[in-house]
Amino acid sequence: MMMQTFMRNKLVSISRKESDTLFIHGILDDDIYGIEMDMEIRVTNLTILSLHGKWNHWTTPECPRAVRFLQGAVGLRIDEEGFSRKINKLVGRKACRHFANLTLECCHSAGEAALLVKWEDQKGVNPDLTFEAFLGQADTPDMNVPAGASASSAPGPSRPSVQARYNFKEEKGTVSGGMVIDLHVHTSPASPCSSAPVDDLIQEAKRIGLDGICLTDHNHLWSRESVEELRQRHGFLVLRGNEITTDQGDMLVFGFDRDIKGIIQLKELAEEVHASGGLIIAAHPFRGFLTFGVGQLGLTPQKAAERPLFRSVDGVEVLNGKVTGEENSFASEVAATLGLPGTGGSDAHEVSEVGLYATRFLTPVRDENELVDALRKGAFTPCAFRAEKTEAVLP
Amino acid sequence: MPQILQFQRNRCTSVSQVDEQTLLSSCHLQDTLTDVCVEITVKLPDLEISDARGEVKRTYQDECRDQNEALKKVLGVRIGPGMLKIIKGLMGEATDCGQLAFMVEECCHAVILSFTKDVLLKAPAGETGKKEFYANMVKQNIRLYNRCAAFAPGSSLVEGIEPPKEPVEK
Repeated sequence: MMMQTFMRNKLVSISRKESDTLFIHGILDDDIYGIEMDMEIRVTNLTILSLHGKWNHWTTPECPRAVRFLQGAVGLRIDEEGFSRKINKLVGRKACRHFANLTLECCHSAGEAALLVKWEDQKGVNPDLTFEAFLGQADTPDMNVPAGASASSAPGPSRPSVQARYNFKEEKGTVSGGMVIDLHVHTSPASPCSSAPVDDLIQEAKRIGLDGICLTDHNHLWSRESVEELRQRHGFLVLRGNEITTDQGDMLVFGFDRDIKGIIQLKELAEEVHASGGLIIAAHPFRGFLTFGVGQLGLTPQKAAERPLFRSVDGVEVLNGKVTGEENSFASEVAATLGLPGTGGSDAHEVSEVGLYATRFLTPVRDENELVDALRKGAFTPCAFRAEKTEAVLP
Repeated sequence: MPQILQFQRNRCTSVSQVDEQTLLSSCHLQDTLTDVCVEITVKLPDLEISDARGEVKRTYQDECRDQNEALKKVLGVRIGPGMLKIIKGLMGEATDCGQLAFMVEECCHAVILSFTKDVLLKAPAGETGKKEFYANMVKQNIRLYNRCAAFAPGSSLVEGIEPPKEPVEK
C-alpha cells in the first residue's frame, strides 16, 4: 500500500481592507511546522505595510525567536527585483525559512489579488473590459524564478595555449613532499559569495607556504592576461580553473576556455571539456548529503559510485573545506570504488581559509598545461595542508 | 458591506512512499486564477528525480500551458544542497513559467522534510534533552549555525559552539 509520509498545506485568503490596502491571512501547516501570518500590502505600489506571524507548532525550543525578525520584510515592494532572494535572506536566514516560504506564498497571492483589484477598478470606468484585455496592459508580479540563464556563446573550445611560465625555483617541485596547490578557491568580486580579494588571498597563500593556487570562481573565466599579471606582481603561481554548475552539481574544470553562464548539462560540458583537452573534477559531490536524515537512506559508496555523474568526470574532490569530515570520507570511498583520483581544495571564500586542504603534485606544475597534464597522469594526492603545516612546526 | 474575499489560494504538497526505492511528491495549487498540479518521482537512495510531469487545468498565463517538456529538464537532478540553483537554471532556460519551477522546488523541499521528520521524531520530550539534541545537531553539521533564529548567536542551542569563520552557504 502506498503510504503518505509528509503533507504541507498552505492557505492564503485576501480581502480588500481599504480601497488601497489588501489584508492577507496565510496559514502553513504540515507534519512538522504550523505557522500563521497577517500582512497588509498597498495595492498601488505593492509595498508590504505590516507583517505579523505566530507559531502554532514548531520544533526547537528556540524557534519562537523567529517571530521578531519578520519585520525585516516590512517596506519591501513585492515586485522589486530579487524580491524572493531578499525574503529568503531577511526572513529565511534571520527568522525561519518556513516563515519565508509562507511570506512568499502570501506575497505572490497578493500580487495576483492586486491584479484583480486593479481590473475591477478599471471596470468601473470600462464595464466591458475583460481580464485578458486588462492583462495586456498590466504588469504581472515578479515571483521566484530569475530570468532564464543560459550558456554564453563564447568562442569554441580550444586547448589552452602555452602561457608565460612562472619563474619558480625548479627544486620546489622536486623537494620532498611535492608541490602543493590549493585547487579550489573563490575570490571577490568574481564569486559574489566570496569576501576574499584575490591579492589578499595570494598573499595569505604565500605566507602559509603553499606553492600555488588555482582560481575557481563560480562560472567565471579569468583572462590569461589577468592571471599572468597576478603571477608577475606577486611572484607566485596562480592558475586558472572554473567551478561550473551543472545539472549534476558543481564541477571543477581545468584547461577549458569557454565561459559558461547559467546551468549546463554535465554530459554536454564533459563532451566539450574533453574535446578541448581539459579535465573535470566532481566538486564536493556529497555536500550536505549525509546529514539531517538523508544519510539514513542506506547509501553505500558502491551504490553512490553508480551515479551517472561519475562516468563524466576525471576525478573526485575528496577533501573540501566546506563539507563535513564524514562527507569527505564518503567521497574518498566512492573515488576509491571507482578508481578515480582524488583532489583536495579549500573551497576558500575567506582569506583565512586558503590552504585548509590542497593537492600535492609529484611533478612540477608551472603553468596551466602542466596542471592539466599532472591531473591527467594522476600524479597527485590530496592533503590537509594547514593541519600538516601546524603539526610540522609543533615541537 | 461584508468583507468578501478578493482572492483565495490553497497549495497542498505531499510525499508518498511508492516502494522501498521510490517516492512520489506532488504539489497541487488551486487559487482564484490558477489550477496546476506537478508531480515528481524520486529514486532512493540517491534522491534523484527520475520523472516529472504536470497538468495545468486553469491559468491566465500563456507561458504556463503545456509545460511537460520544461518539467523533463529536471530529470536526473539530485535533491539536496544546491538543487534550487540547478532547478531554476534548468527550468528558467526552458520556460517563462516561474510558478512551475516553484512547484518543483516545493515537491523537493517536501521530500527533504519527510526525512527531516524522521530525525525530529527522535528528539527527547523534556526541555533539557531537547536542547541537547538540537545543539548536537548543530555541532555535527556546522552549516546549520546561524541559518535561522533558533541557531543564531544568542540562542541557547548554540551556546559554546565555535561559529564557522565564513559565510557557510555558497
